[in-house]
Amino acid sequence: MTLVLEAAVLGILTGGVYALMASGLTLIFGVMRIINVGHGALVILGAYLSFVLWRNLSIDPFVSLVVTMPVMFVLGVILQVVFIRPLKTDREALSVLVTYSIALGIEGLLGYFFSSNYLQITAWYDTASFPIGDFRITYVYIYGFLLCLAILGAIFLMLYRTTFGGAIRATMLNRTAAQLVGIDVDRVSAIAFGIGMATAAAGGVVFGITNTFNPGSHYDLISRLLTIIVLGGLGSLRGAIIAALVMLVIEDITAVVISPVWASFVFFVILVAVLLVRPQGLFGLRVRERL
Amino acid sequence: MNRLRDKRVLMAVGLVAVLTLTLVLPAISPESATTNMAVFTLMYVGLATAWNIMGGYTGYISLGHAGFFGFGAYALGLLLARLSIAGGYAPFLFVPVAGLLTGLMAAGVGWFALRTRAATFVIVTIAFMFMLQLLAENLTSLTGGGAGLGFPNPPWRGDFFNIPFYYAMLALAVLGLAVSWSIRRSKFGLGLLAIRDDEDKALAVGVPARAFKLTAFVISATLVGMIGSVYGYYVTFIYPQFVVDPLIGISMVLMVFLGGLGTLWGPVLGAVILEPAQLWLAYNYGASRLYLVLYSAVFLLVILLMPRGIIPSVRDLIAERRASAPAARAGAAP
Amino acid sequence: MRRALIATVAGACLALTACGGGGTATATPSSGTPITIGVSVSLTGDFSSDGPALQKGYDLWAADVNKKGGLLGHQVTMKYVDDASSTTQVVTNYENLISSDKVALVFGPYSSLLTKPAATRVDRLGYAFPEPAGGAPSVFALGLHSLFFVQPAAIEDNLVSYTNWLLSLPADQRPKTAAYATEDDPFTQPQVDKAKSLLEAAGVQTVSYKVYPAETTDFTPLALKVASSKADAVILGTQVPDAIAFVKTFITQHYNPKTLIETAGPDQGASYSDKLKANTEGIMVPAGWASGSQAYGNPTFVSEYVSKYGGSAADISADSAEAYSVGQVVDQAATKAGSIDNQKLIDTLHSGTYQTVQGPMGWDSVGKPQGGVGVFVEQWQNGTAVFVYPSTVAAAQPEYPKHDWQ
Repeated sequence: MTLVLEAAVLGILTGGVYALMASGLTLIFGVMRIINVGHGALVILGAYLSFVLWRNLSIDPFVSLVVTMPVMFVLGVILQVVFIRPLKTDREALSVLVTYSIALGIEGLLGYFFSSNYLQITAWYDTASFPIGDFRITYVYIYGFLLCLAILGAIFLMLYRTTFGGAIRATMLNRTAAQLVGIDVDRVSAIAFGIGMATAAAGGVVFGITNTFNPGSHYDLISRLLTIIVLGGLGSLRGAIIAALVMLVIEDITAVVISPVWASFVFFVILVAVLLVRPQGLFGLRVRERL
Repeated sequence: MNRLRDKRVLMAVGLVAVLTLTLVLPAISPESATTNMAVFTLMYVGLATAWNIMGGYTGYISLGHAGFFGFGAYALGLLLARLSIAGGYAPFLFVPVAGLLTGLMAAGVGWFALRTRAATFVIVTIAFMFMLQLLAENLTSLTGGGAGLGFPNPPWRGDFFNIPFYYAMLALAVLGLAVSWSIRRSKFGLGLLAIRDDEDKALAVGVPARAFKLTAFVISATLVGMIGSVYGYYVTFIYPQFVVDPLIGISMVLMVFLGGLGTLWGPVLGAVILEPAQLWLAYNYGASRLYLVLYSAVFLLVILLMPRGIIPSVRDLIAERRASAPAARAGAAP
Repeated sequence: MRRALIATVAGACLALTACGGGGTATATPSSGTPITIGVSVSLTGDFSSDGPALQKGYDLWAADVNKKGGLLGHQVTMKYVDDASSTTQVVTNYENLISSDKVALVFGPYSSLLTKPAATRVDRLGYAFPEPAGGAPSVFALGLHSLFFVQPAAIEDNLVSYTNWLLSLPADQRPKTAAYATEDDPFTQPQVDKAKSLLEAAGVQTVSYKVYPAETTDFTPLALKVASSKADAVILGTQVPDAIAFVKTFITQHYNPKTLIETAGPDQGASYSDKLKANTEGIMVPAGWASGSQAYGNPTFVSEYVSKYGGSAADISADSAEAYSVGQVVDQAATKAGSIDNQKLIDTLHSGTYQTVQGPMGWDSVGKPQGGVGVFVEQWQNGTAVFVYPSTVAAAQPEYPKHDWQ
């Protein structure tokens, strides 16, 4: 029983990182109606950027976000303008291929510069922990979780308390209508993509501290992120966050109670089960559009 | 009229020439390095053509076809093991059975997955692929799990080994093309294209969209399953992560888009360009790790410059030329 | 038109049957000419951390053999191609190396996983396949006469020395309980399963046994499961990344088993100890090779490795030593056979014993190592991995129970 509780706590803590990464992905979908298959690769890129700052300049991985988040934001804006914006016909399918190509390119470059050895960002405090009863929690997990909460909070504030956030929400709701009321949809899209990348940078740091990674790690990551955002309902931030937490808790509990080999399977079974009842996901567009 | 007939004759001659060339290729160049590359190229010609039947004609993008590929491979491997079939020509007889089993499975998957549309459908197909991969990994007593599943070893030695596989892949590619061609010319094919253009409108004019989509999905998966089963026999050892490989799934899609989505010959062209290029790049430049970058750069360029693929873009170009010089053309026609 | 087509096809079929009988004849290069040896290594993908280590071992051997006048007088060039840890590519690579590049010999890739599809290809094309890393039971089940696994024992027996040592401890100190976790991989799982059955037979109670998929990246829940079992002995079927991750979680959980062994990871020298620093102390690993061993050519191998790639003897991966052994074996077989013809090498390798940096070895008819000294137990002590069991090779006493984490 304690083991199940431990797994649940761990699931919530790691779920926070997935919530952050998935919210960037679902935001991009909401604004642009494209699936960014390269999101996993960009998270890994973020992890490598922080790794380099930590290894070469001894900058604390959490502090390094001050550098990597703006860098990734700018990179996101550039990627959107150069590769996504020119797509006019068949956007949905072509964007999958374009972002997939971007992911391959990033994987190749990372492999070239870093080889494919598995890495992990290790801070001096990474094995420091505190006890809760029989069980010990690593501080790194707590810091990572708090960081994710803070960034998610900032995104919500931006979306619901600023004019620009209003423009983003309007674009998510109805792109054409937003254009008609004078919102520069192209600009909103570029910035939303940039924000998505900045969250990928932050997710990358936490992922890089709690997981080993190499340039090929993005395949596994993106399959999980896509499952999460579909489960939550494409384009729903709230859905993505809840789905991430639920999925990770269930996965970790399955791992200790049944077997780790079935943990990811349960992940997909839940997706299928939910979609059978609600093809639009937990907080899907169909619901929101009715509101 | 005349020009149309000339064009037809020209195309028929071209087709026969290409077919003859592919039939005699192993005689011209029997080295196993060449035939090996040819086996993989034909495999992707078949896969891309099969994917196009669903993705190209109906517009439903499946990124999970690697699941059917792997399922077919496991189906054949397990059949051969259970029935104790020895290596040789006999296993090829079971390829259609593996295809049929894949089709059955696809009917179940499709029934569920086709409740969703667009982006959700894309992701659901990915999820299904990973579920199949995990099942192959976890049902250890059936599939052998991570230790892999072995196929009977064919008795052929030396360069001859690849040749039966070459003809098996060729037969499947031709079968796929024949199916794709006949669908395009049928009422069923028209229905599929209507779904691609506007599903709600298609429903309104009486196209049984659900049944049509499901049929296309099952046909496509059956072909992919058969090809996967031959692949499994060819590499003799299959593992969950290599046979249900997302890269295989995405490669078919890339090839179709490169050649021309929804066209008959686009997938063939895409496969013939990309697969040898990829094998060659990986062999010669793989060690420098930059081949992935090169591959992605070429692809981004193609998508940005020719978003509709090579065949439609070239066709447009020719039509434009023709339109600008109609008089000259008409005069030249005999 | 149609008749012409039929004629051509018929002709083609005739030509095919004609080729069918032949097969690739492996031409033996005349003496003194330089030769190329082909290898497919994993430079990208899942095995990309082991691929380069393999490459270093092969390169060192090639440099050595060229210095002493070549392999039977032939200067050796190594040709490496990347298989991206994928079966399709590994098959393509050996086809190309043999039939298009016409290399004189081929050596094996990394891991049992890739060795299996590669070995059937190589066998068919009539080449010998000495390989350093494919020792799973299923590799020998292929029944190939051309394959030779160049390690001192089949990998399922890797942990046997360790279990012998555990059971040799006085009854009151011997671990009462054991926890097992292993990756679902043909390399790791057979070792762990065999250790488990041996220990259970001797009365050590199993308190936890988990198999996890090779794709796992977050090992924390698994490690928690092991830690919460509070077992005296922990036996892990790991590769490098999980080997490190498990130990880290044990440290954070302040879980101190009396003994801890990992199938791979601790044998990787610096790439392991860099991540764990002083906490490597007391961790064990089965190893057929140790940097301090006096086996045939080993002191030379170690000193050359250090002068070529830097670092210290402790940084050398066992993968490199295993690859180097492949070269040594082939060199001796060529001298004995007086030829580098593949068929002659195959016949020669099936008889007699060969000396390597991992000690002497020979092979049965399907390439399973015979007559080797077996695999020993190595333990990290004061920042280096040293042999601790059996006492015939031990450089130090085993440290038991393992010290607590720092």
